[in-house]
This record gives sequence, structure tokens and C-alpha cells, in this order.
Amino acid sequence: MTDTAYALEVRGITKTFPGVRALDEVNLRLKPGEVHALLGENGAGKSTLIKIITGIQPQDSGELIVNGEARSFRSAHEATRAGIGVVHQERNVITDFTVAENIVLGNTPVKGGRVQWREVREGAKRVLDLLDFPIDPATPTSLLSPAQTQLVEIARGLYTDSAVLLLDEPTASISETESKLLFDVVHRLSAQGRAILFVSHKLEEVFAHCDTVTVFRDGRSVAESEPLSNYSKDTIVDLLVGRTLAKLEVPDRSPSERGTPALELRDVSTFSGHRDVSFAVHPGQIVGIYGLVGAGRSELAKAILGLDRITEGEVLVNGSAAQIRSVGDALGRYGIGYVTEDRKAEGLFLDQTVARNLTVTVLKRLSNAFGFVRERAARATADEYIASLDVKVSNRDQLVGQLSGGNQQKVSLGKWLAANTDILIIDEPTVGIDVRTKGAFYQLIWALAEQGKAVLVISSDLAEMVTLVDRIVVMQDFEVTGSVLNSHEYDEMSKSVIRLIHEERIDVVEG
Amino acid sequence: MTSRSNRLTSVLSDNRVGLLLLIIVLVVLIGSLKPMFFSPAFVIGPMLTSIAIFTVVGLAQMVVLSVGQMNLAVGGMAAIGAMGSAIVFQAFDVPLIVGIAVGLVVGGAVGALCGVLIAYAGVNSFVVTLAMSFALLGLVPAVYSWVSTGNAITVQTPGLAELGRSKLSDLCIGDTCGPDGVPLILFVAVAAMIVIGLLFSKARIGREILLTGSSDRAALLSAIPVPRRIITVHTLSGMLAALAGFMLGASTGSFTPGIGQEFMLQSFLGPILGGTLLAGGYVSVIGTFLGITITVVIRQGLLLFGVGIEGLNILLGTILLIALSADRIRSVAGARSRLRASRQQSPAKSKEEAVVS
Amino acid sequence: MSARLARLARDQNTILAAVIVAGVIVLTISSSGGFLSPISIETFFQFLAIPIVIGLAQMAALAVNQMNLAVGAIGGFAACSAAVLIADFGVPPWLGGIIAILIGLAAGVLNGLIVVLTQINGFIVTLATMTILSGAQYAIVGTRTITSANWPEIAAIGTARPLGIPLIFWIAVGIAILLSVAYRQTLFARNMLASGGNPLAATLSGISNNRSLVTAHGLSGLLCGVAAFLVLASLPGANKSIGEDWLLSSFAAPIIGGVSLTGGTVAVLGTVLAATIVRLVDSARAQFQLEPSWVNFVIGAVVLGTVALDRVRTRRPATRQRSRRPPPDAPPTAAARAIDPGAPA
Ligand SMILES: Nc1ncnc2c1ncn2[C@@H]1O[C@H](COP(=O)(O)OP(=O)(O)OP(=O)(O)O)[C@@H](O)[C@H]1O
Ligand SMILES: [Mg+2]
Repeated sequence: MTDTAYALEVRGITKTFPGVRALDEVNLRLKPGEVHALLGENGAGKSTLIKIITGIQPQDSGELIVNGEARSFRSAHEATRAGIGVVHQERNVITDFTVAENIVLGNTPVKGGRVQWREVREGAKRVLDLLDFPIDPATPTSLLSPAQTQLVEIARGLYTDSAVLLLDEPTASISETESKLLFDVVHRLSAQGRAILFVSHKLEEVFAHCDTVTVFRDGRSVAESEPLSNYSKDTIVDLLVGRTLAKLEVPDRSPSERGTPALELRDVSTFSGHRDVSFAVHPGQIVGIYGLVGAGRSELAKAILGLDRITEGEVLVNGSAAQIRSVGDALGRYGIGYVTEDRKAEGLFLDQTVARNLTVTVLKRLSNAFGFVRERAARATADEYIASLDVKVSNRDQLVGQLSGGNQQKVSLGKWLAANTDILIIDEPTVGIDVRTKGAFYQLIWALAEQGKAVLVISSDLAEMVTLVDRIVVMQDFEVTGSVLNSHEYDEMSKSVIRLIHEERIDVVEG
Repeated sequence: MTSRSNRLTSVLSDNRVGLLLLIIVLVVLIGSLKPMFFSPAFVIGPMLTSIAIFTVVGLAQMVVLSVGQMNLAVGGMAAIGAMGSAIVFQAFDVPLIVGIAVGLVVGGAVGALCGVLIAYAGVNSFVVTLAMSFALLGLVPAVYSWVSTGNAITVQTPGLAELGRSKLSDLCIGDTCGPDGVPLILFVAVAAMIVIGLLFSKARIGREILLTGSSDRAALLSAIPVPRRIITVHTLSGMLAALAGFMLGASTGSFTPGIGQEFMLQSFLGPILGGTLLAGGYVSVIGTFLGITITVVIRQGLLLFGVGIEGLNILLGTILLIALSADRIRSVAGARSRLRASRQQSPAKSKEEAVVS
Repeated sequence: MSARLARLARDQNTILAAVIVAGVIVLTISSSGGFLSPISIETFFQFLAIPIVIGLAQMAALAVNQMNLAVGAIGGFAACSAAVLIADFGVPPWLGGIIAILIGLAAGVLNGLIVVLTQINGFIVTLATMTILSGAQYAIVGTRTITSANWPEIAAIGTARPLGIPLIFWIAVGIAILLSVAYRQTLFARNMLASGGNPLAATLSGISNNRSLVTAHGLSGLLCGVAAFLVLASLPGANKSIGEDWLLSSFAAPIIGGVSLTGGTVAVLGTVLAATIVRLVDSARAQFQLEPSWVNFVIGAVVLGTVALDRVRTRRPATRQRSRRPPPDAPPTAAARAIDPGAPA
């Protein structure tokens, strides 16, 4: 009999993929009643461990001990039955099903082979209420935004009422309000003696809500189930990175807002419901659009790209009215690039190589007069962005679908950096990105602005806004409610932004 | 060292190598049991002619599969293309090359029409091409019976018979003549393979097509002109189908509404045996050629053993299944861990092959 | 009220029903009422039963993102095997009928197992089994036709006319109702749809995609077996051409009926209605004695036109799905703003 003080114990688990050792004899002990943070840079092996624990991938060696018994699950179902609930990093819902059916998926209440629809609805409603997510369980999942889909995923993890709950970056793409509700639930569960493993790159939340910590670096555990109080944010970062990380130097920026804007919206109304949206981005300037999930920010970006109809008003590029009918137009005729928030559905070709993904926007430039791709130039371009973004790949011909989540995000950004457009719209740039790379991303964006490019950043992370941008435009309910110059003082900015958002939203920005 | 052994495994797990080995084994086996199999005039020649025609048909399907769509009207497009050529030969007595060009234009136009309906009306390719095959099934015989008596057009344009039915042995430079078993028409197929091969491996348009097949949403948001590429592949498919129809007509000397009737199944078998994904995003020209070759060799072999038409089908189907399964089991065993991993990651359905290949 | 009307008008089934009504009116008028004579109605439904069942068989495969190209071959082989067993080997007709159904089931399960075990695309697997089974069918019956006089008990089902409508049509309708309930209510059917809609999500939830594939192919084969049984019941005999022309109509019904080719959905009512439309076209061909080739042309052109029009018409509302107003009855809590306002409450 082994020690039953642990709800879950990982002993010396190793896992290799062709070309990488994703996990190298890692250990982890999860006690009932604790919230345990699992930290590590992009590609450190966090998701791989979670997939091994839940029986989705087999380990090469090592043991998994659940409630004192050595176990190895062959399917997700077995893991659920053994009391292990999980929210995976990638969103995977069945879009043909309703929210309720997705939540109960795999654990559908049945009697005599028949689905008990009422229990399905009520069970789903119950967890949705826990998260204060006021959506009708009968809504088809195909209508949800990425953030809402993430909430459905979380609800699915909570539905089974498990003794062990594994959460793989659940807060990456949701706003602080929803995160806060999630943490309320997490604390309630841990008070009931459940064990929770929590993966995140947001150190603030980790320090606010976790008790113990395990840190992975390059597939090895460099801190094993230690009290989080042993560390400060800085020492954790050093541990994650493996060396002392220089503090992010926020440059002193005050770009001019005079002259012709590179991109300007004048009283734009759209088919999907924006009203009289106006703002401008000048060359060399970084403008952030801040707003809550559902404020219509990504939809606005899509309207600029010609993917939605502009019913009134106009979009001006370098001072003259632009007729943009497709992303091809945006790129080819007006030099506008767009990094999507949904890398998996809209950003990446998951079954193609990293090199092909990185060169997709510049194929024209990489082709010769006969329309043939110049392979050497293409390879060079791919290598350049793999290096400058520090994408962790075994080689440039690895399939993007095999990369870790954060590295996929780098490729999604990299392909638009390669296009080298004068105007770049970046939607949620740092979803799932580790601390070090986040800093590198910021520096990259500042460098773009220094080169005179106009950058429009959409983000739900106010701290990111305050660090990164020059001006914050606040959107609420498909309208621009105002804009402020960024003073880079978080408290001051949050107050100004609050003033621009609805009264009842105050808690968000403070949270 | 590791890189070399990696390369070795990757060569061995390439299903085209498996196909090639299988073809060699079959040829040796059939040939040693029935030496007749090696007769240039009676077996090899006609077999290579079939391979040439069906390879072009296979390519016609492959280009559409590359974007994850289908062309169920390959047969109809072959028929109408061939009909176009035949009519201008008959009515205007045009030179060979003009006739071929007209056929390709007609086939391409029908393909383009499908492409437009799919790309701009957003209708599923399966439905559009199915309906188109119905329409052509009606249109082509009607036109034949209108323009010709006896529902067939016999063409005597100079050069046609030479292209369709001569062998390399008919071409002599001085005293050296080519081998007897190689029909000239094979080179038409080779030319088509080279063009399509270059398109997909080297050209920007081919790259854009494959990316569209991989994820059309991501392609649209990566500034790839997705609707135009969909139209491109369907046009190309129509042209290749028309070329195949023309080749069939040229090899028999008469153009009938029956051209293309047996194209559809072959058109899928070739590319898919050769590793092209139904889901889009990956194609193999050589694979298509090998896939077609294997079906033709099996069919020919069975005929030599005097298997009747019903037995032929049973055996053909069984051999195909066994060949495919053996191939798949081998590569699955070789790359089980990769496959398992990929199945977790791979977003699209049935794309395991992408990782294996 | 008008919104509901609009939704109704957009609904696929309503359109299909409207097309049917229009078709019936045209045929009635042009035949000066002859189309509605009891005999004509009887024939109409008599030859509708099999298309419905094979359309449903294809639908079962499409639901898991597969295709069953072997529908006709399975049905033809099953019908001919049963016929030969009854006529040549003295198997009791009832048993023969059951055997036909079981052969269908077995062939379907076999398809599923091959797909699962070899990981080969179902398209190719069923293409191969189609080749094999149609060859086998020919090998069994050769060129003869085995008449239904050999199985009078089963043929009696084909001639029964409760309420003036052929029994075999009622059987097809019964199967459709059964399937419709099963797809809504049973876990095994929901799991098939989950696997079809997103296999990765299904795996992550512990649903076995392999089981779904085998079940779906099995169901598809079973329905082909039932179709074979209906062939024995309703046709004058069984020969090598049974099943030859099933393939295209098996796809036409579910696709026109609104089943997605990418899996995850079924539309039982739509499939039944679409099969009815195809049957109407067939009646029209018979009634106007059209030359088959031009009829083919017209069918093709009409299908193309309607589907294209349908798409153009539904496209606009589709883009509006994510409009901006919050649902009026959503509680005005903080998080209310966070949800997609377009989501119907
Ligand atoms: N199916 C696969 N095939 C090949 N390599 C893989 C596969 N899955 C993961 N990897 C590799 O294993 C390593 C660990 O990946 P993992 O997804 O566990 O990282 P992570 O810690 O979750 O990172 P992130 O924070 O970016 O999500 C990465 O280098 C990744 O490329
Ligand atoms: Mg991860």
C-alpha cells in the first residue's frame, strides 16, 4: 500500500515524441484540498502530462498513482470514472450539439439506454449557474464565441464532480470577471477536499489562488510540489526560464497623433451591429481596443477586413477611403494584416508544416516570375521567424498541430510578421504565451511601431494594455465609448477605463 | 546517423514504396504463371494505354481532392470534352491540336461552372458535381444523336490515329526503333503528370490550393483567394477529364457518349491508393499513377487467368482491400506512437495519413 | 408571429413539403386528376418505400462522417442470397427474409470493422466491398430472375394495402419514426453523432469513435438488409440488377434533406421528404413519357438550380446569427454582457 495522503501522484513519467523529449522523469504530488499550480514555459510539457494522466496518450515509462493505487487509463472515460475531471487546453466542442449536451458529453445521464434530457438540461444549468454564465443550455454551440466556448469547456470539467480536477490554461481566453467566478468555484471545491491542478501563464492568478507549485522546464521538474510561499514572482520566473530574466523595459513612447492616420474609421456601422465607430491609428502608434468579451472587438476587426458588411461610414487607409472586400484585398492593396484570436480555427493549417504556415502570407513575394515558389527563400523566411520568435520546434517541417499551444500562437503571429504590413491588427496577442515570450512579443510590437508601423491590438487583459499600447479605445456593446491616452499607470488607467465602461463593471477592472 | 535511419523509416513508411513493391511482386507473379502477360502487343501495350488514360482520370479527381472536394462528374466531363473535340473535327476539319484544345476548353468550362456554383453559391461539391453528372448524362447522348447518325463520331483527322494507337516501335530514327510495348499515348499522361506535379510541388498556386484544402477558413484569413482556387481546381479537373476522354476516343478511333462511363471509380481509386487525402491538403501524383497501375495490373492479370466478369470484381475488391490493409497496418505499426499522438492533435477527420506519410 | 413564419419559411422541411405539394398539384392537373386515382397513389407509395429506407441507410453512414457506397451492393446481394436460399435450398421464406436482413447487418458491421481495424477511409472500404458484393451477387444469380412465386408469404406483405396505402410504405415510415426517436433519445445514437461531429472532442470525453463507426456502418447495413427484404416483398423477382441504381438516390435523399456531409447531424424527416420528391420526378417521367436522357438533364439542372437558390436565400440570415442585441430575458448581471449577445435565449 502506498501513501494515500495524495489524491494523485505522478512518479518518474517520461514521454518522447519524435525529435523531442516532452517529459523526462517528472514527479508531481497532488493533495486533497489543495490548489496546485503547474507552471512552465511554452512546450515545457504541461499539457502532455495532463493528457497522460487522463489516458489520452500513453507514457513511455513511469507510474501514475491514484488514491494510493497504481493506475493507467486507456481512455478518457476510465479516467473520469476514477474521479479525474479535466478541462483541456484546446477547445473541442461538438458544434452540432447544444451547450447542455456538450457539457454532459461522455457522462450523459441515461436510463435504460435513453438519454434523460431533463437531467441533461438541469445538470448543465447547475454548472452554468456555478460559473454565473447566463446562457440557455439549449443554445447551439456553433453560435458561441471562443471565450464562451471556453466557458462551456470549463463547465464540462466541473460537471462530473470529480475528486481531482485538472485545469489546463482555463483562463487563457476569458476575461477577469469569468476567471474570478471560476476561482470562486475552485476554492469551494478545494474546501470540500477536492484536489485541483491548475496550469496558467498568468502569475498574478497563480499567486492569488494557488497553494503549491510544480515547475517544469524543458520536460524536467525543477520544482516539485513545493509550497508556493517559498517563492516570489521573480524567483518563480527565474526558475521557469532557467536564468535571471531581465526586467521588461517599457520604452518611453509618445508617438505623434498629428498628420494622416494610417488607419481611420469614421462613423462605421456594420451589418453585425456596430454603431458609429470612429478611431484612428497613426503610423508608429500602438492603439489598443479594450472591452469585455462580446463587446464586438473581433467583429470590428473582421469588418475592417471586409468579412462583414460596412453599412455606413468609411474606413480610410492613409487618408483615402478604402474598399476592402477580402483579406487578400486588405493585404495586397492596403497593407493590412490580421492575427486572429482563434488560432486553431482561423489562424493555422494544423496538418501542414511550420514552414508552410509561416510563409503563407508572403507566397507571392517568395515566388519567381513564373509563379514557382523559391524554396530556398521560403526556407530562409521560415527559419528567420522560428528564430526570432523562439518557436520550439524539432525542425521547420514539423506539423504545426504537434506544437504546444503557446508555440502555435507564435506561428500564428509569425506568419503576419513575415508579411511585414504597414498596418497590423493583432487580436489577443498573448493568449497562452509564457512570461518570457510575452515580454519578447511586447518588444517585437514596440519595434514594429518604431519602424513606423501602425498597430491595433485587441485584448481583454487590461494589464497588457497598460504595458503595451499608447492609446486605449474602449468598446462596449458594439460602440466605442471613449478613448484615453495611456499613462502606463495601472491604477490611473483602470479608473479612466472604468469611467468609460458601464458602472456595474467596476469589479472587473479592480479584480 | 539518426537522421539517416529516420530517412530510411520515412522511405519505408511511404506508401508509394509499398505500392511499387506490390506492383513488382504482382507483375513477377502473374508473369511467371502466365508468360503471355509479357506479350508487348497483346498485353503490355493495351495495359499501358489503359494506365495512361486512367492516370489522367485519376489526376482529374486528385486536383479536386486536394481542396477536400470531389468531382463525381469526371465521366460526364470526359464525355462532353471528347464530344467537343469530335464535333469540331467532324464539322470544321480542324487540325489535331485545335481539336484537343477545343475539348479541353469545353471540359474546363463545365468544370469552371461547377467551381463557381461551389465557391460562390456555397453548395457542397458532392451535390453540385452529382447533379452535373446527371445533367451531362442527359445532354451528351442528346447532342450525339442530334449531330451524328448512329450515336458515334468516327474521326479521321490526320495524326489522331498515330497519337492514339501507335507504339514507340513505329517511331524509328534510322534503324533503331522504340520498344514495341510502349504506346505513344503514354507520353500524354506523362506530360500531364509533370504539369500537375510541378503545379503542386513548386508553384505558388498549387501551394495555395493545398493550404485551402488544409483549412479553408484559415486560408481565407491568410489572404488566399479561396473561391478563385476552388474554381481553379474544378476547371483543371474538367480539363484533365476532357483530356482523358479524348485519349480514350483517340485510342479507339471513335467518339461515343459511352466515353467516361467507367471513369468514376477509377478516378477515386488511383489517388486514394496513392495516398491522396480525401480530406484535402495532401496529394501525390506518383502515388496516383502507381495506384492506377496496380488496379490495371490486377484486372489484366485476372483476365489472363480467365476469371469471368463477376469473379473479377470479387477478386479485385478483395485484393485492393488486402493490399490497402497490409500497407496501412505496416505503416501504423511503424509509426504507432506518432499516429497515436497525431490522432490527439490532428484537428480534421481522417488525417492520420498526414503524419504517417 | 411574423418571425415565426419567417423561421418556418426558412426551415428545410417546410420547403421540401412545399415542393412536394407543388409537384403533386402539377402532376394532378397535367394528368387531369389521374395522378390521384387509387391505383396511381398505390403505385406511388409502393415504389417510395425502398428509396426511403436506402436514403436512411446512407444517412446513418453520413452521420458519422462516412459514406456507404455499398448500399446497393449490400441490398442486392442480400436479396439475391435470400432468393437463392429460398428457391434452390428450400429454406422457408420467412427465414429467408430474416436472413436477408441479417446479411445486410453483417455486411455493414464488416465494413465498420474494416474501417476501424485498418484505418482506411470508409469511402475506399465501401467502394471495395461494393465491388466484391456486386460481383458476388452476379455469381449467385447469374442471368436468371428468381420470381417471387417462390416466397408467397413475403410477397403477401407487398400486396397488403391497409388504409389503401401499401404496407411496405407503412413499414418504411415506421422505420423512419423509430430512427428519429432513436437518434434523439438513445445514448448510442448520440455517441455516434458526437463522433461524427468532432471525433477529437468525442475521444476527449471518453466516447469510443471506433464503436461509433462500427455501429453506424452496422446500422447502415441493417437498413440495406431491410431494403432487401422490401425488394423481396414488393418486386416480381430478384436478379442481378437489384441495387444497381440505388447509390445515387441514396445520397440524393439525405443530402437534399439537409444532412451534413461532414457528419454530426441527421435529418430523418428531411430524408423522407426528399425521397418523396425524387419519387415525384420519377412519376413525372413516367407520366410525360420523356426521353430518359433529357429527363436526366432536367433533374440535374433543377437540383443544381434549387440548391444554389436555397443557398443564396439562406445565406443572409446565416451571417446575422451573431447580431448584437442581448436576449431580452437575460438577467442584467455583470456577466450577462460577457456572453455572446446574439445567442438565442
Ligand atoms: N503529438 C505530438 N507530436 C510531436 N510532438 C509533440 C506532440 N505533442 C506535443 N509535442 C511536443 O511536446 C512538447 C511539450 O508540449 P506540451 O503541449 O506538453 O507543452 P505545454 O507545456 O503544454 O506548452 P504550452 O504552455 O505552450 O501549452 C512540445 O515541444 C511539443 O512540440
Ligand atoms: Mg499546453
